[in-house]
Amino acid sequence: MIQLYNVTKKYGGDSAAVKDLTLQIGKGEFLYITGASGAGKTTLLRMLYAAEKPTRGQILIDRQNVSRIQSRQIPYLRRKIGVVFQDFKLLQSRTVYENVAFALEAQGKKRYEVSKKVYQAIKEVGLEHRLQRKPLELSGGEQQRIAIARALVVDPLILLADEPSGNLDQEVTFEIMELFKRANARGTTVLLATHDHSLNQRFPRRVLTLDQGKLVGDQQPPQI
Amino acid sequence: MLDKIRYFILRALRNMRQWPLLCTASILTMAIALATVATFFLVVVNIEQLALRWTKEIQVIAYLEKIPDPQDLVTLTKKLKAMPEIESVNYVSQTEAMQRFKKHLGADASLLEGVSRDLLPASFELGLRPEYRNQQGINSVVEKLENQLDIDDLRYGQKWLERFNDFAHMLRIVSIILGAFLLFAALFIVSNTIKLTLYARRDELEIMALVGATMRFIKIPFLLEGAIQGLLGGVISLAFLALSFVFILSRILESFWLTPAGFELLFLTLNQQIILVLSGVFLGVLGSLSSLRRFVRI
Repeated sequence: MIQLYNVTKKYGGDSAAVKDLTLQIGKGEFLYITGASGAGKTTLLRMLYAAEKPTRGQILIDRQNVSRIQSRQIPYLRRKIGVVFQDFKLLQSRTVYENVAFALEAQGKKRYEVSKKVYQAIKEVGLEHRLQRKPLELSGGEQQRIAIARALVVDPLILLADEPSGNLDQEVTFEIMELFKRANARGTTVLLATHDHSLNQRFPRRVLTLDQGKLVGDQQPPQI
Repeated sequence: MLDKIRYFILRALRNMRQWPLLCTASILTMAIALATVATFFLVVVNIEQLALRWTKEIQVIAYLEKIPDPQDLVTLTKKLKAMPEIESVNYVSQTEAMQRFKKHLGADASLLEGVSRDLLPASFELGLRPEYRNQQGINSVVEKLENQLDIDDLRYGQKWLERFNDFAHMLRIVSIILGAFLLFAALFIVSNTIKLTLYARRDELEIMALVGATMRFIKIPFLLEGAIQGLLGGVISLAFLALSFVFILSRILESFWLTPAGFELLFLTLNQQIILVLSGVFLGVLGSLSSLRRFVRI
């Protein structure tokens, strides 16, 4: 599903945010990308959804070469990828329903299709009783669940999450992890960037470890 | 397709409702900018109109040295009428000149008793075609007259004409410079106001790009919003212009420019009014377009 070959990303100067990264991620995998701050986790994710172009190397997603993608093709790539952020990135002036519907509307989906899918996605994250609330009226955990609903409402092939539990307490984090697991069970490939090791202890999965932009570990989950 | 158009319009209107303060600021900025340009345009148009009226008074008077006999008079008149510059020819005989003078003197006409009616010279009053009512036109007429007629003297308000020409020239230069400056300032202010509104909504633009919206999909509602705001700005500026024309501008122009009797001040024609409103739409779209380029990056 995702292949990287000798990918390097430099932001000017000599130091690289990501160095010579080669890896393969299969369809339907669930994996963690770990490493200290500045290890290159966010840069790697940003290159996957084409917010950054690699300085060198190739990135293939679903057989499409993302490193050579043209600007006008980027939206179509992103329709295959859901992204979840630490700061949720919800529109504060819109209701829960509108925030989730936004993703489908942006893809030009028909209205009747939108309302059905939005309700379904919000129900999936357990917030169907909050449809008309604004994000600021919700708790951090609820806001992140809405952000996940927005990412999943488009049935993405890949879900990228950048420190999704950074602002949440452990109990809420585990609830969020259950949502990711459910999405993964339905076939979505999930990449979760985190420095929270407790997640892997509770939900053991493949772990990629980055250090100063280099891949220093690729650990498979223990066989049960 | 219809579904999409409906969505774009609804989004544009919803955006405007969600940011009432920014939206009002944009509309008012455009209204003020357009009204300023249009007011300036109106002042210039009226001054030019007034100047055009004054030029109607321009005529060349040729005082004749010898009194032509009736036969020559017909030939001469024909010859003068044949000149491309000349619109009307009026022969003023010595008798008529004396009568005019008497009328002019009014109660003092008795002063002329006993004075020979040959005292005043006969003359031709020559009206010029509009395109020749300027220094060049007059110069060419004067040159031809001096070559072809026995003329004692020529009068055509030389000094006044020169001054008028200078004034008209200056008015044109000032109006072009000031007009261009005002238009540029208007575009600059409008574009900056729209930039401000987009800056406030950069999260929305970022999220749209993130969830896979195409550039066109992101831009259309904002351009539409710019167009709607521009339309409203244009209509408000027109209303403002009409009110200020009736209550302020016409009074200032009337008192300041010593308008001659029967001179009606001009307001914008229907076409100009439509152009003003459409300029608002254009300004709104252009302002949005230039700002979007900066804020929308995929």
